[in-house]
Amino acid sequence: MNESKKNLLEVKDLKVSFFTPAGEVKAVDGISYTLGYNEVMGIVGESGSGKSVEAYAVIGLLQNPGKVVGGSITFEGEDLLSYDEEQMRGVRGKDISMIFQNPMTCLNPVYTIGNQLTEALTCHDTSISKEEAWNRAVHMLQLVGINNAEKRMTQYPHEFSGGMRQRAMIAMALIGEPKLLIADEPTTALDVTIQAQILDVMKDIQKRVNTSIIFITHNLGVVAEVCDKVSVMYAGKIVEQGDVNDIFYDPQHPYTKALLASMPRLDEGEHERLIPIEGTPIDLLDPPQGCNFGPRCKECRKICLSKKPPYAETGNGHISACWLHFMEGAKQAGSGEEA
Amino acid sequence: MIIYILKRIGAALLTLLVIMSITFFLMNAIPGSPFLTEKSTPQQIELANKKYGLDKPLIVQLKNYVVNYLKGDLGTSLKMQEGTPVKDIIFHQGKFILSIKLGLWSLAIAVLIGIPLGCIAAYNRGSWLDGFLRVMTTVGVAIPTFVLATLLLATFAVKLGWLDTISGSLESAKSMIMPILSMSFYYICYVAKLTRTSMLDAINQDYIRTARAKGVKRNIIILKHALRNSLIPVITYLGPVTAGIITGSFVVESTFSIPGLGKYYVQCVMSRDYPVIMATTVVLSALVIFMNLVVDVAYKVVDPRITLTNKED
Amino acid sequence: MADFGKLSPFQVDPAIVEGLSLSPDDFSPASEGEKENMVEKRKSVSYWRDAARRFKANTVSMVALFIFLCCLVFAFIGPKLIPYSYGDQYRSSQKLGPMEYSKGEALIKAASANFDSFYATGLQAGSITAITKGNYFIEYKGNTYAFTAEKAMEGVIVGFLKGQADPVIVKEADVDPATGAIAAWAPLETTGDPAEGATQLKLVKGVFPHVFGTDSVGRDLMARTMYGARVSILIGLMAALIVLIIGSIYGAISGLAGGTVDFIMMRIVELIYSIPEVLIVLLLQVVLKDPLQEWMDHSDTWLAHAASALGSGIISIFITFALLYWVTMARIVRGQVLQLRKQEYVTAAVALGAGNGRIIKRHLLPNCVGALVITTCLQIPSAIFLESFLSFLGLGVSAPMASLGSLCSDALQTITLYPYRLIYPAVILTVIVLTLNLVGDGLRDALDPRLKK
Repeated sequence: MNESKKNLLEVKDLKVSFFTPAGEVKAVDGISYTLGYNEVMGIVGESGSGKSVEAYAVIGLLQNPGKVVGGSITFEGEDLLSYDEEQMRGVRGKDISMIFQNPMTCLNPVYTIGNQLTEALTCHDTSISKEEAWNRAVHMLQLVGINNAEKRMTQYPHEFSGGMRQRAMIAMALIGEPKLLIADEPTTALDVTIQAQILDVMKDIQKRVNTSIIFITHNLGVVAEVCDKVSVMYAGKIVEQGDVNDIFYDPQHPYTKALLASMPRLDEGEHERLIPIEGTPIDLLDPPQGCNFGPRCKECRKICLSKKPPYAETGNGHISACWLHFMEGAKQAGSGEEA
Repeated sequence: MIIYILKRIGAALLTLLVIMSITFFLMNAIPGSPFLTEKSTPQQIELANKKYGLDKPLIVQLKNYVVNYLKGDLGTSLKMQEGTPVKDIIFHQGKFILSIKLGLWSLAIAVLIGIPLGCIAAYNRGSWLDGFLRVMTTVGVAIPTFVLATLLLATFAVKLGWLDTISGSLESAKSMIMPILSMSFYYICYVAKLTRTSMLDAINQDYIRTARAKGVKRNIIILKHALRNSLIPVITYLGPVTAGIITGSFVVESTFSIPGLGKYYVQCVMSRDYPVIMATTVVLSALVIFMNLVVDVAYKVVDPRITLTNKED
Repeated sequence: MADFGKLSPFQVDPAIVEGLSLSPDDFSPASEGEKENMVEKRKSVSYWRDAARRFKANTVSMVALFIFLCCLVFAFIGPKLIPYSYGDQYRSSQKLGPMEYSKGEALIKAASANFDSFYATGLQAGSITAITKGNYFIEYKGNTYAFTAEKAMEGVIVGFLKGQADPVIVKEADVDPATGAIAAWAPLETTGDPAEGATQLKLVKGVFPHVFGTDSVGRDLMARTMYGARVSILIGLMAALIVLIIGSIYGAISGLAGGTVDFIMMRIVELIYSIPEVLIVLLLQVVLKDPLQEWMDHSDTWLAHAASALGSGIISIFITFALLYWVTMARIVRGQVLQLRKQEYVTAAVALGAGNGRIIKRHLLPNCVGALVITTCLQIPSAIFLESFLSFLGLGVSAPMASLGSLCSDALQTITLYPYRLIYPAVILTVIVLTLNLVGDGLRDALDPRLKK
């Protein structure tokens, strides 16, 4: 009871499958996390790891043939999975908003920015006057750093640059002052310089409007910059989760380590080589019996290929699913038996 | 915008010139003379040729056509209504008006019924209504106009006697039902099909997901966000529809005995009435070209991304 | 790479470890082979096989394909199964309704129970025979029976009665039309050897109804509809082929050449696009008719012979398609080529010094084959439509040849009296166009999954 008051969002053992002609694809296979008020969580993983699917499940935008097949999503104590479409509609845009990867295609090309911004308000609150909606939209645009907002309101998306569109998308997502913002790779499609600007805007605005953010990305640098805590996903499972500092300075799971080793870092020597993760992600239609990362893991043990690893955890919520954590214990147990 | 339209008018005039040349050479490629009958003597033919300037070199004849057309003189009929100015035949005997009336009605009906049907089908995707409309539109685009026209005629005019077999000058609403229905049915179905497809296409676009994420109501998503985007391919199609409706008019006008331009054109071609063929071709072509221009401008209205000045395919 | 051994071990509750009952052996490093065994690679499916799977999964298209194949059987094999031919005018068979027999045929049908077999002159299959003066012979159970007709005889049946070994001749009037009972017959005086130049009377296999009825001059409408369907389908295929060849070559050249050439070629396409084609088609039809006829009558090349077999109407339809209808195809191909030209493998081919011809053949055409197949498939019904439209206006094929359009057109004059004459060819035409459309849609979904809605 108190638990759910403290946390804005609780996801427990969530499972999402896509039912394709070739079989069931377990895109998200039992993930759990909690998100507090005013907290920014990063979900990191490579393409196809299920991080976006998980987000769509939370906001109720899963497209056919995707289905939630298990677990629960609790938002402010309410079970979102029990909501019908109309109830979910009331939640979307008002309590939970989302911004998407590709700002070039996410705005309707035939309506003005102003029209689309104010719509986010008027569709939840019909009593709001046109003028007020307009003013709030202008204010929001200014907040995300769009100059000349009044004029920009009357322009069409194609008259905006990519970075500007993403700013407009952020403004649109935040105009209803949602409690939770899901940002699905918001900077991936943008230039590096624009990326930095957008991140600044998001950080800044998060403080101003007190929104929790789920930040989905494959860019660890972005995570380090904006997130409080991080979940690392691989093949539909969270392999490691913890405070942002723990993940970056004390990574435990081999996948996280490999991920970090494959990213360029500014604080290391110039001649440090980047190490790619070899192999390709597993086939989710037919996942391996053991650890999903096993076949690609440099430290792979025999047990990793036959059994799924359980979570090991430290006191402060840092968890990691890898057999290596159990190695010492096993050795002790083994030596004990021998003796 | 104005520069664009002027450019387009220039291009249209060029197209018309090419069409005139093609028509001219095709007409003259028909062997024999328009005055050749069983009774006519070579002298008579020569005289007639001289009278109508057909003895001059082809290129001079063509030049005369062009010059006269620029002056607004469409020549006089050689055969069908000998001596009558072609302008009178086309514009003052009600033929043009009649064909235009038929065409515009059919076009309007195709759009006003086709688009809502497509929306209904897309909105109720997968329901029995969608299934019914899909069957109807799929079959509808496989029925040739003349088959539908004759079947309607046989059923409602001959068997049941509810409507007249001869529609004449389309004075009453009753006389317009069958011609317009048979002419527009194919396009109703095609437009509905197209609307449904492009609507479903639009529904899969990212901006619809954005609208859903905003919490916009489902029917507003369909009617506001999806519809306007899905109209774009429908509008593209309306250009060819105009040309197609002219085709339809040939069949429909002869089936329902409507003395319009389409029916007249076929008769002129058969009897080689050169000036009338030329004038009708030019008038109908101009109509099609004009409709294409209207369609392109309508584009601009629906889709703000299109800048008419530098349009590239 | 960081060394795992050096890192401080994670705090793990020993109780959990015990519960898992692990042994140190579990933690010996796995070999590469063991790792690879875990990754079962699914067989990658080739583009065509995948497309075929998608097409087969599409019930509507499969049913449409089946119905279209039935239409093909109807059009191409059907004429061999019925005893009537599309061009022959059968005596006293005018204006019959569906499934009806002419008077003579009905008589034979009624009387056939009393005959072992009966014979007729070639044209009058299944009907009573008119025999002119002359020598005839028939063959029955390996024996030849020759006879001489002293005078012309109208309305007779030549055959073997049940249980009799010698041929007889029966007059029409001696057969009861209702029961088929034979009141009187005359034996035929026969000899074993046919005289010089004697005509063989053919064995009649049975009487076949006029399933679709007959037209005003006694031609069997089912035979004509079959023939018309064949003509329409062939016209559609040929026209689509012409469009495919011209359009793809033009489009590929335009797209590959780029620059000024592309600009000019595309302006030409735009020009043709904005010409109301029907007007030109009508003119062309009239213009081409006589010169083509002339050429076919006087030229002696194989081309002219082939053309005259088709008739000037059909040839001018082909010419029309070749002149005006390739523009859509050219545009599509050009678009594909432009898109593909940007791909790296084409750049690589250019860098390796491959010529334009080779690039078109090896790289571009195979890659736009999906778009080509779809457009071609959808071109067939539109060609059939155009042909039927022209035939309807009296400009397409001419009698005794038939196409579905001309059959509809012929039926129009008598629509009030004999509506079925319109309905049969119209239904066949609609079914062919409908199924081709559906197959085309299915192909599009199968070949170009990106377009699938």
